[in-house]
Amino acid sequence: MRIIVAFLIPTAILAYILGLIDPGLWAKAGLNILNISRFIPLLGVRNDLWGDTLTAVYETLIISVFGVSSGVLIAYLLAPLASPLLAPRTIAIAGRILANSARTVPAILWAILFVILVGPGAKAGALALAIYTSTYLAKFFYEALESVDRELLDSLKAMGLRGYTLAFALYTHIRRQIISSVLFMLEYNVRTASILGFVGAGGVGYYILQYLDILDYQAVLTFVIAAIAIVAAIDTTSYTLRTRI
Amino acid sequence: MLAPTQNLVVELRGVAFSYGDKRVLNGVDLEISYGEAIAIMGRSGAGKTTILKIIAGLLKPEKGVIRILGCDPSNKCFDSVRGRIAYIPQTLGLVEGGSAIYNVLLARAYEKPLRFITGIWGKEYISKALEALEAVGLLEKARVRVERLSGGERQRVAIARAIFQGAPVILADEPVSNLDLETARDVVELLTGLRKRGATIVAVMHDRDLAQRHFDRVYILEGGVLRVLS
Repeated sequence: MRIIVAFLIPTAILAYILGLIDPGLWAKAGLNILNISRFIPLLGVRNDLWGDTLTAVYETLIISVFGVSSGVLIAYLLAPLASPLLAPRTIAIAGRILANSARTVPAILWAILFVILVGPGAKAGALALAIYTSTYLAKFFYEALESVDRELLDSLKAMGLRGYTLAFALYTHIRRQIISSVLFMLEYNVRTASILGFVGAGGVGYYILQYLDILDYQAVLTFVIAAIAIVAAIDTTSYTLRTRI
Repeated sequence: MLAPTQNLVVELRGVAFSYGDKRVLNGVDLEISYGEAIAIMGRSGAGKTTILKIIAGLLKPEKGVIRILGCDPSNKCFDSVRGRIAYIPQTLGLVEGGSAIYNVLLARAYEKPLRFITGIWGKEYISKALEALEAVGLLEKARVRVERLSGGERQRVAIARAIFQGAPVILADEPVSNLDLETARDVVELLTGLRKRGATIVAVMHDRDLAQRHFDRVYILEGGVLRVLS
């Protein structure tokens, strides 16, 4: 009950500040729903585009999986450098600042940068997600490494394990957290890869933007359905894998 | 000044240690020779684990002289001692998700980091690790993940690791605290039996009978100092 009250109070205050508690606003929103409904008769799917849809889904998947796999590799090497338990203090501080500052840049901004650097298409999206995923996973990994039981750490240190050798032993110990965070990033990447195309970085989003420009709503809906299907498929697969680890 | 004594494995003289304002060790003296097994008893919070951690080089005392295998842990020479100490904490220090043999092989990760990271150990290391597991009666469970083993079996994996490590110093923190009487006796016999391999054993124990029966000397830690119980 306390939790509900604790969240209810700021929600009410902020809704007031944002101007959401305004009957006029909701009346206007109701009228706009009627406007939107005029689109409904225009909607439908274009059966001739399913081939292109498959290409788009394939591209989105490639971008996402490359982002995760390369992100895991970078994060595996970066996380021990960002942990004071495993690296000298100055290196750990520098590593942490590097990982944290890179993480504040949204994936879409990385995509814009890579579109400029390597040109439009899937490769820009893949590189953007690789950087984004690695900085996120580095944080997940070093936090998981630091949550390890201190006695295990003492025992391994007493045997002379240091640096990466120690980190790799600990990675085995925290493999459940690792798998869970990797699956989380895969779900995230598929969702993000679907919109990276808006800035020219390939995937389903690229096709959606093209057809929006020429007001072909049936084509847009076809690709939106494909995007929803792929996100749902990855979420379900990820959930199934998570329950098995 | 303490003269280096070749046959002494552990030498502590006047060792003092505090956690914040709380002084737990107040002049601990301890001498252990090659092939001896000693037990340390005492109330919870008396500082027994602290002594083990100081010997392992994991904690630095405020005062006192320490030599482990002839070397002060604060000196550069201790780098060569690292990897020769087996510290078995209460929670055993086993890597979950790894099999029994993985945990045993871990003892050589220090000297063979590349083999450890790649997982390609070669026949020689694998057969030695299997020998160590056989010595503790766990050969058939070599490929079983440690979290699927019983408490006694896990304790044996930790001992097998110390055997494979060829550690001349084995530090065990309450090795039998969560085991039934029969298993506890077996584990203590295994542990103290490592004297035959030239190991020196320091164990924190709670069971006085077991300690007196199997260890060469039993100390009690009281008021921050060690005295011989038997």
